[in-house]
Amino acid sequence: MATAVQPRIHEVPDDLLAAIDWCYEQGWTDGLPVVPPVVERVKAMLAADARPPETVISTHPATGLDLSLHAAAVNAVMAGCLPEYFPVVVAAFEAMDRPEFNFHGSTASTGGSAPLLVVSGPYADEIGMNADVNLFGPGNRANATIGRATRLILRNVFQMLPGISDKSTQGNPGKYSFCIAERSRGNPWPLLCEAQGYPKGTSSVTAYAGGGFCNVENHGGNTPEQVLASVADAMANYGCITLGQSVVILAPEHMKIIGDAGWTRERAQDFLFSQAKRSVEGMTDVGKYRDREYDTQHGDGAHALAEQGFIHRGLTPQDILITMGGGDAGGHSCFIPSWSRGRGSIMQHAAIKRS
Amino acid sequence: MQLYSPMSTTPKRKSVRAPVLSSIDGLRIGVLENGKLNAEEMLNEFASLFVQRHGCTVRTLAHKSNASAPAPSATLVKVAQEVDFLITGLGD
Repeated sequence: MATAVQPRIHEVPDDLLAAIDWCYEQGWTDGLPVVPPVVERVKAMLAADARPPETVISTHPATGLDLSLHAAAVNAVMAGCLPEYFPVVVAAFEAMDRPEFNFHGSTASTGGSAPLLVVSGPYADEIGMNADVNLFGPGNRANATIGRATRLILRNVFQMLPGISDKSTQGNPGKYSFCIAERSRGNPWPLLCEAQGYPKGTSSVTAYAGGGFCNVENHGGNTPEQVLASVADAMANYGCITLGQSVVILAPEHMKIIGDAGWTRERAQDFLFSQAKRSVEGMTDVGKYRDREYDTQHGDGAHALAEQGFIHRGLTPQDILITMGGGDAGGHSCFIPSWSRGRGSIMQHAAIKRS
Repeated sequence: MQLYSPMSTTPKRKSVRAPVLSSIDGLRIGVLENGKLNAEEMLNEFASLFVQRHGCTVRTLAHKSNASAPAPSATLVKVAQEVDFLITGLGD
């Protein structure tokens, strides 16, 4: 058992710009300037969690490096988080710490995934998160800095360093920050936190190793089948199709078509699973067919919707997380592919605990 | 100005190298494949060179269900009892 040591304090000159440069020199940044983690701000961040600062919330499976609340708070300050964002960062790592998420593999891999965080429930509104226009884009402090804190922790605490222990072939822009809120306004379906079984009033964060971002444009479809067929096609393109999970964020325009027709989340999941497929012949033609994966999908216990002669995306309809997000205008939904080729990382969720 | 370090306060786990084998002639080989495409084929081919050149025997073929996660300790403990050295690597 490794022995924990006291957090190290560095004395630097009282010059903010020089301190920012000093943080660069230490190799503590993601390439962008960080807020120097002055002692007072770290203490204010820690006040957002009632537990002792040395409490360990996550451990790297290979190196044994621990993430304490204290180290999480330091990185949250550097990312630009306000203290009220801290419970989301903590919940994210409590979810990512589960072996099924495999944050080491999904970060180290050539696949280049980034942890997508989807915050669901009233806490998202309380801290001013964006679930609306320009959902995945810049402009909202909570979205931007919670996602950035996640990346800085992977870098600084767990030493997942680009080129050394993060061997992403191309990476993806979400590796700077990849955090959204689920839109509740106008959403006809139960929120994710409700579907996940949390008590009323409890918010959650879902972590998913996202391999990028695929825009799904459809301005002409007026039925659930038309809209969702576009999504399914994106999910099953030859570049993206694997047995991995999926995240689909439906634009409000698309969701209105689906909701007004009375479709439930489960029906949409069934439809997407049944349609997001490629033939064995086609998969063979592009060199992606594997007996072992086909057998996994079509063997005992596989979902009845897995059609013989086809590889579907994922193993069951429940592998597809669907919810709503984005601005009112525009037929632009998105599909977020999973990390690399399979099921090396399974999405996880955790409750956001208020102090 | 006082800045906290953003690093982990827990030291990295110490890893110790296994002692070097004085000879590999006639030893028992284990193969740990990571489940990726062609991993088993590549590692078995590699092991066969030890069989041909050094009279080794392949005793165990172990599989990882997740290429990117550490091998479960139960797998390593079992293999360690059955073989003298282990061959592993990234198939793809």
